[in-house]
Order: sequence, then structure tokens, then C-alpha cells
Amino acid sequence: MQSLTITLKRLRYGLAASPEVVALITFLAVFVFFSVTADNFLTPGAISNILTFASIQGIIVVGMAMLMIAGEMDLSVGSNLAVASFVFALTMNAGAAPLPAMLLALLISTLLGAVNGLIVTSSGIPSFITTLGTMLAYRGIARAIGSGTFAKYTETRPPLFSILNGAIDSLNQLFEPASNFRVSIFWFILIAFVMTMVLMRTRFGNWVFAVGGNEGAALAQGVPVKRVKLVVFALTGLFTGIASVMQFAHRTSVDPLRGEGWEMIAVAASVIGGVQLTGGVGTILGASMGILLLQTLEQGLVLMGVPVQIFRAVAGSILMLSVIGNTYLSRQG
Amino acid sequence: MSNDTNETPVVHMENIVKHFGTITALDGVDFTVEKQQVMALLGDNGAGKSTLIKILMGVHTPDRGRIYFEGQPVRINSPREARAMGIETCYQDLALVNLMSITRNFFLGRELARKIGPLHWLNMRRMNDLTRAALADVGIKIRSPSEKVGTLSGGERQSIAIGRALHFGAKLLILDEPTSALSVAETRKVLKYTLNAKERGLSVIFISHNVRHVYQVADAYTILRHGRKIGTYAKGELTEDDIADIIAGVREQ
Repeated sequence: MQSLTITLKRLRYGLAASPEVVALITFLAVFVFFSVTADNFLTPGAISNILTFASIQGIIVVGMAMLMIAGEMDLSVGSNLAVASFVFALTMNAGAAPLPAMLLALLISTLLGAVNGLIVTSSGIPSFITTLGTMLAYRGIARAIGSGTFAKYTETRPPLFSILNGAIDSLNQLFEPASNFRVSIFWFILIAFVMTMVLMRTRFGNWVFAVGGNEGAALAQGVPVKRVKLVVFALTGLFTGIASVMQFAHRTSVDPLRGEGWEMIAVAASVIGGVQLTGGVGTILGASMGILLLQTLEQGLVLMGVPVQIFRAVAGSILMLSVIGNTYLSRQG
Repeated sequence: MSNDTNETPVVHMENIVKHFGTITALDGVDFTVEKQQVMALLGDNGAGKSTLIKILMGVHTPDRGRIYFEGQPVRINSPREARAMGIETCYQDLALVNLMSITRNFFLGRELARKIGPLHWLNMRRMNDLTRAALADVGIKIRSPSEKVGTLSGGERQSIAIGRALHFGAKLLILDEPTSALSVAETRKVLKYTLNAKERGLSVIFISHNVRHVYQVADAYTILRHGRKIGTYAKGELTEDDIADIIAGVREQ
């Protein structure tokens, strides 16, 4: 009996050391649940939808997770996404070639991210408040430049769109009915992998963890705390821009509400994946499991014929359970 | 005066004034630390100890006053600059990142890395080996360099911060209330590491609000109260009780 409790305790510490395992287990549980209960869930069509949608949001989650590890967050990513899509669409509609239009969109979204970072590091206002403000402000910019209405790209799809987020037809045609695997999945895996390496294996990554774990200690050891935060804010902006142009390359239109609520999805995915709001803890792998879990939930519930409104209630419950679970695991003693 | 008079002090701060809004944190304080000296900086809460130290480590800039490091007038604009000069600070809470490994803490801010493109790739194996060796060299045994600092005891954490300062060739080690949260046995260890640092040629500033924590190791005491310096006293000049009374303001010198 005693050895059992010790084993359980060891297991708890082991899980606490790698919170993404909790997200993985929850994901597998949800996956198995839908495989059993929802018709058409275990099909190439449903799986490809989950991966395709999760990958776009996942690129933003990568940035959000890094920011939260650094002890900050960005609630303006959804609005930033809309701004970047409008910039991309309107510049092309004004006659610019797709590539410079894309670069302009990425530049602007990076700048919007950097503005968040500048305000936070120069004023000391918590990023929650700062980016709540810029969330509204950037949404206003999106509405203003889009004149409050849709922007649509009506020319034939340029090759750039296929590179950004084309359907992988050679794979999709193998299935009947055809699946919906898209290039965005590869871009997401590439970005998540590269940023994981940056976080775990580079000096910059070391500084990100230090800044979020104990800002004072990082400062005392000569880590350029403000610069680190600024770079992570800018990176989050850049990743939001990448997600934006990829989504636009698929849909070729953007509306003023594009991306609304995505900031919460990104924060929720990170928290479910074991990233702590207090900073200094988390992995991109865990946060990616988080977004995969949320996307699986949404698709699974749709396939079960559950009204889509229920999704938020279930997602909220999963979020709470993850936080309670991770808090329990990381508790001392 | 001791035989140190011919040598240039490691640090000499002159007439330091610092205001925060309407509050005068330091009102013309002089402060000198000789070479290979353990200087206790004593004072009650709010006496100005931490402001003085934060000026020395580049967190605050003084409104007035001059700082000399090894005889040279200096301006210390950031902790990074302070560290480049050889000033290392071990804070009670600010020394280490508890969520990170011993190695990552040991090399924080001076990681061994290979630059490829814009990124500095960490040489973890080399840093792990060096951390273990460096800590063993100053008499500190660790279980594993990849262990999280948060799992260590308070004394172990202090010892790692001190070991780090020793390894990176600090000239001046600032210990901020290093023993205030420690058990008796652990306090003794930290005091041992402090003397160890002195033997290796370092100067040490030992900050405390309680003279009993430093009486055994300090060569001299500087006492602050309400932003002013009460005085600097050599070892043996005053008893423990005298010093405690001066800190508390029960007695004027």
C-alpha cells in the first residue's frame, strides 16, 4: 500500500515535470471518446479538418505560448490577424503583386506586436491591460482600412496562395470523399519545431524562461529583459501575420470580425497545454496539444450533431479541468 | 586602520544622494569597501541599504555623488555593466530562477554558445560539466546539474549563487540578506562560503538588518539609518549589542 502511494507520488512529480503529458492524455481521451460516439469522426475528412484548422490557430499559439513563458500575454492577436488580412487583400486589390503584399502584411503585424511590447516594457503596464487596449484599437484599424465591410480577392489564385496554404490534392484525392489536408499543417509543424529548438537550445530561449521565471534575477544576471520581451511580442505579431496570410490564401476574403475570440482560444490552448500564466513554465509541444484538443472538441461536437454553441461550454470545462489538474500536479508535497 | 591603507579600495562611493519622488532614500552617504574585506552593511528596514546596493549594481542611478571602482571613477548604468566590472549580487529572491536548472542558472547571461546565423546555440554538455566542476571546486556538491534550483534548500541555493560569483571571477560579491531565511546549520555553511570567497581574494558586502548574522565574518561594519550613514566601525571596535542598539536607534554614536 505504501509503495503504491510512493509510486503515485513519483508519477505525479513526473507528470508535473512535463505538463504536456497531461494535455496529451486528455487529447487521447477526447479523441477516443469521439471515435466511439461520433459517426464519421475517424475519417480522413474529419481528421484533416482538425489538423488544417488547428494548424492556422496553432501558429498563433506558438507565439502566445512563448509570450506566456516570458510572463506576458497578447490579447490583440485576433484583431492583429484581421488587420494583416485586410492589408494583404487591399494591397493586392490595389494592384500590388502577391509577394510584396504578403511581406507588407507580415511587416505590419510584426510592428503591431512590437507596439504591444514597447508599451509594456516602457510603461510597465501589465500586458493584460495593454493588449486589451490594443485589441480594441487594432480592431478599429481593421474596420477603418476595410471600411467596415468585406474585402475579397477576385483574381485567379496566384501560386503564392498554394505555397502558403494550398490543398494537398495528391493526398486528398486518395480518399473518398476527398479529405482536406492543407499545406498549413506543414508550416505549423515547421514553425513549432523551430521555435521549440529556439526555446530549449538557444541563449535567447534560456532568457525567455529566465525573464518569465524570475525577472529580477534575470535582470541581475545581465539578461536584457526588455529586449527579450520586445522580441517575443514582435514574434507573436509575426506569427499572427503568418496565420493571417495563410488563412487568407485559403479563403481569399476577410471580414471585419475575422479572428475575434482567437486570443482567448490561444490563451486557453496554452494553459491546457501546461503553460503557466505566472510565467517561466511551458512547452510549445504542450500548447500545440492544447490547440489540437480544442479543435478536436469542436469538430467532434459538430459531427455528433451537438449545437456548436455547446463547444464553448465544453472547451471552458476542459480548460478548468486542465488548470486544476496542473495546479494539483505542481503543488509541493 | 589596518594595513589596507596603501591599497586602492575596491569600491568607494562618495556623497551619494538618491530621491524617490519626495522621499529621500539616501542623503549624502559615503561607503568604502577595501580589498579582500568582508564589509557588513547594516540598518533597519528602510535605512537605505538596498538603495545603496542597487546604485552599485546599476539598477538605480544616483541623483548626486561619485562612484570609484578600483580607483577609477565610474558610471554604472545597468546590471550588465556592473557585472562586466566584476560586481556580482546574490539576492535572497533575485539570485536564481527556481524553475530553471542549476546549469542554466549558473550560466544565465553568459551562456556558452555557438553563433549560427542570428542564434546562439547552447553548449549544454560543456556547461553541465563546468557547472559541476566549478561548484565542486569551491566545496559545493550537487546531485545533478540539470536539477531544478527550486528543489534545493535555501542554503544550497545561496551556495550556488556564491559559487557562480567565484567561478566567474567577481571582484566584489554583494550578499543581500543571505542568511535571513536559513536554519542555523545552513547559515553556518553560507558564512563558510563567504569566508571562502574572501580567501580567494574577493571583497564582500554582506547586507543584513541583524548584526548577529554577520558578526562572525565581518571585518568592518557600516551602519545606515534613515538614509544617512551613522558610521563605519572596524571589527572589535564595538560589541554585538552596541551595533544592534545603533541599528535600532536606541543609542547615538
